[in-house]
Amino acid sequence: MFGQNPEPPNDLRSFSRRALLLGITQTGLFSALGARLYQLQVTEHNRYTLLADENRISVEVLSAPRGRILDRFEQVLAANADGYRITIVPSLAGKLDVVLQRLSRFIPITEVERARLVHRARRQSPNLPLIIAQDLTWEALAEINLHAPSLPGVRTERAGRRQYFNGDWMGHIVGYVGAVERQAMDDDPVLRLPWMRVGKTGVEGGMERLLRGTRGSVTSEIDARGHILRHLDRVEPKPGPDLTLTVDVVLQAKVLERLQNFRRAAAVVMDVQSGGVLAMASIPTYDPSTILDNTDPKAWAQLQAAIDDPLINRATRGLYPPGSTFKIITGLAALEAGTITLKEKLECSGAYTFFDQTYRCWKRSGHDACDFHKAMRESCDCYFYEAARRTGMDAIALMARKLGLGQIFDAGIAQQKSGLIPDPDWKRGRFGRPWLGGETILAGIGQGYVSTTPLQLAVMTCRVASGLAVNPQLVLAQTSPRLQRAQPLSVSAQNLAALRKALIAVVHETGGTGQRAQPEDGDYQIAGKTGTSQVGRASSEMAQSDLAWDMRDHSLFICYAPADTPKYAVAVVIEHGGGGGATAAPIARDIIAMTLDRDPIGRATRDGLGGGSPTEPAGRG
Amino acid sequence: MFQSGSRAYAPLSLSSKLGRIPWSLIVVTLAIGSIGVVSLYSVAGGAFAPWADRHALRLAIGVIIVVALALVPLRFWIAAANPIFISAFALVALVPIFGTTTMGAKRWLSAGPLSLQPSEFLKIALVLVSARYYQFIAFEKRSRPLYVALPMLVIGAATTLIARQPDLGSAALVALIGLTVMFLAGVHAAYFIACGAIVIGLGQYIWPRLHDYQKSRVMTFLNPERDPLGAGYHISQSKIALGSGGVNGKGLINGSQSQLNFLPEKHTDFIFTMFAEEMGYVGSMALLGLYVLLLAILAVMASRVNCRFSRLLIAGVAAILAVHVTVNVGMVIGLIPVVGVPLPLVSYGGTSMLTLMFGLGLAASAYVHRGDTIRRDELGVFV
Repeated sequence: MFGQNPEPPNDLRSFSRRALLLGITQTGLFSALGARLYQLQVTEHNRYTLLADENRISVEVLSAPRGRILDRFEQVLAANADGYRITIVPSLAGKLDVVLQRLSRFIPITEVERARLVHRARRQSPNLPLIIAQDLTWEALAEINLHAPSLPGVRTERAGRRQYFNGDWMGHIVGYVGAVERQAMDDDPVLRLPWMRVGKTGVEGGMERLLRGTRGSVTSEIDARGHILRHLDRVEPKPGPDLTLTVDVVLQAKVLERLQNFRRAAAVVMDVQSGGVLAMASIPTYDPSTILDNTDPKAWAQLQAAIDDPLINRATRGLYPPGSTFKIITGLAALEAGTITLKEKLECSGAYTFFDQTYRCWKRSGHDACDFHKAMRESCDCYFYEAARRTGMDAIALMARKLGLGQIFDAGIAQQKSGLIPDPDWKRGRFGRPWLGGETILAGIGQGYVSTTPLQLAVMTCRVASGLAVNPQLVLAQTSPRLQRAQPLSVSAQNLAALRKALIAVVHETGGTGQRAQPEDGDYQIAGKTGTSQVGRASSEMAQSDLAWDMRDHSLFICYAPADTPKYAVAVVIEHGGGGGATAAPIARDIIAMTLDRDPIGRATRDGLGGGSPTEPAGRG
Repeated sequence: MFQSGSRAYAPLSLSSKLGRIPWSLIVVTLAIGSIGVVSLYSVAGGAFAPWADRHALRLAIGVIIVVALALVPLRFWIAAANPIFISAFALVALVPIFGTTTMGAKRWLSAGPLSLQPSEFLKIALVLVSARYYQFIAFEKRSRPLYVALPMLVIGAATTLIARQPDLGSAALVALIGLTVMFLAGVHAAYFIACGAIVIGLGQYIWPRLHDYQKSRVMTFLNPERDPLGAGYHISQSKIALGSGGVNGKGLINGSQSQLNFLPEKHTDFIFTMFAEEMGYVGSMALLGLYVLLLAILAVMASRVNCRFSRLLIAGVAAILAVHVTVNVGMVIGLIPVVGVPLPLVSYGGTSMLTLMFGLGLAASAYVHRGDTIRRDELGVFV
């Protein structure tokens, strides 16, 4: 029966003997466990039932008041309303329907409502509280508190709903709170309280952990009828801290007003040094107050069905081909790789041929000979086709990511999109096909697979302007330690300087595509870049005005100012707005003017990143 | 039949392998795991999130692992025993450097969303490597001092490493499991008696060096009433919960004691308390009965296999299971001090579940290939 090396019989015998010994030991141990369980659960059951009922310890979880959200100048954007609520813990109430009946003498509880509560209590843990009524005044509570001894399990506590101010302007940034979804429940037991609300979008969502505060608890000894015999321990909840945003409500309102005439648009204003977002506009807007706690289901349904998606924050979730604004990336990548030099001139005949495929320049008659400066100023496509081809997609994608594209930022705001910076690895993984040279050429002018959000474009602008790896941030340093001085970018200073000079030329030199961004008054210059990104294939063949609105090009403009000592960066995207130089540029110009106009009001000091500038009181001037 | 022929490795076809898989083992495992799902559903106040759903998923994955491992030839496990143990040992050694600290102890390794407790893996790896060790040592040699010293050294190193995390509970368990395999391998009884004497002697030495929380756990174990709201709180609350459950229990989601938030680890180490309160004496005995059945199946499997390695492997896995159940249940009913040990297949926790399934897979593999015998020279480059 055995194989080639049968075991010595004493081996097997020893194993069996010892295994038997251990088996007997284990049987003894299990018997001991069984006996002990018998003792606890059968013999002494009555004693422990008594202990459990007469002298048990209850631990109640207390939720903390949610932190408020304030704008840069302490204007309140989100707060908690005054109000009280009545709750009941079924396991402490004894007979739930009797207690509810008694309670209905003091506050109106309909028959239907009572049945609903009883039904609900049966389906969940008896120790989870149920909400009987909320948004009550102190007067309404007084009588209930008076009769508390005859109302076991009933609690009254202070707790108001979330309130939003200036919601029309700030809705996309602040976001809103909503009921906790089952899937979102984490180990924090406070989330199982029925009144808990958590941030869904915006800063409410992005800073949820901080705003929620730290839960507290009450440990008390209670008897069988839920009466508290004595309090053993109370840990006070720690309220969520107030968050001060980098956003300026007044500026935000002005930016939105400037964009009001368009159907869908977005604009972002950032501080180029600190990354603080001063305004972040998305058109159309909505007011989260109208949909809070589903008080008005019709308003919610309308917003959800609306054709222009007002619920979406286009600044962080709108994905657009960056168009010619991407030439900043292609140009810088080529200069850094040394595949083109600043002096080298390339000929533009109005068309560019690569493997029998013809790629047109936007200017059909061509730009003749272009060096880097002229190509950037006049946005010559042919020059950047060639620059992209020479440099290759990997190096371009690397530069795009270095300047902030294709990524989600830890900016304190929820629901960002990362967009896409394509490269050969990505395409192989996504489609299983190799990258084609023609795709590099299209990507080089910000078309093809490339997609970005307005926030990312603003970050790119900041990084070019400051030479620092600036990260966007919506929460000020005092309330969040996350705002830090950025590290310098690893890009040659000489190439960066040439790029900046070319960006000034875009706005201020003859032939520049962004001349309509020239400041109307003021003694500063703007550096910028236009972008016109194609939506459909057909659009290049027809005049824009002949196309249906949703087939027209997107209009983009990014810029920073003052050009010599950069302070602010602006990115503007007008969906289907036509040419970047025609539509977006003058808007960006106006936003820059508004921002500089608001500038003297305690700017440098408030970010805590003023770089040695004198600290002055930061109140409204 | 072909497995009794002269060739040591008559290769089994897939269908005959599948036919030899101990399906009763898998059925009982699933039954115990399902009790875990139900308990976790109840702990969450009648919700699948956040524990029950994931537990069910892990259970399903675990069963697939058992079946998959059962099909792997025995030769592979022998060859892989040393590398597996060395990796597990290295992982545990990495914990003090890269581990995450919770409640004053470093026990977890994290990589992105995954985090695991390498000390759990070490238990199985230790059984595997010990079984392999004795496969190639003649019975007469096993009690010679030199041949006893080597496994003792390995067990000692593993125990010390875990004890320093600090995780005294797991360290004691690892030592116990290692010694059990040595005992079953036939090492002379005198060594174990000497071991016992040394442990008692060491106790005198270690006691003053224990952490305060460990001391107080032992002290309040001896007299839980000493501090009913402090360290003895868990034990006395656990006993009240169990006792008030009575014969038939209070019903799912209705355990008034467990559902109150007085047990901080009620979804992991104290899940038996909750189950026993809600399902009563009938329920708790049924659960214990299922564990006994599982152990009995493993015992039968061990008696039918053909080589030393397989036998020790199956017995070692059974030992891991038995020790965990005994210590966990003993703890929650106040027979043993509170040491953080999960209840196999029922407590929430990915590492514990995965490790046990891995062990059961090894046992199943040993059983499926029970006709195989192994010679050292056939193992090739791995050894």
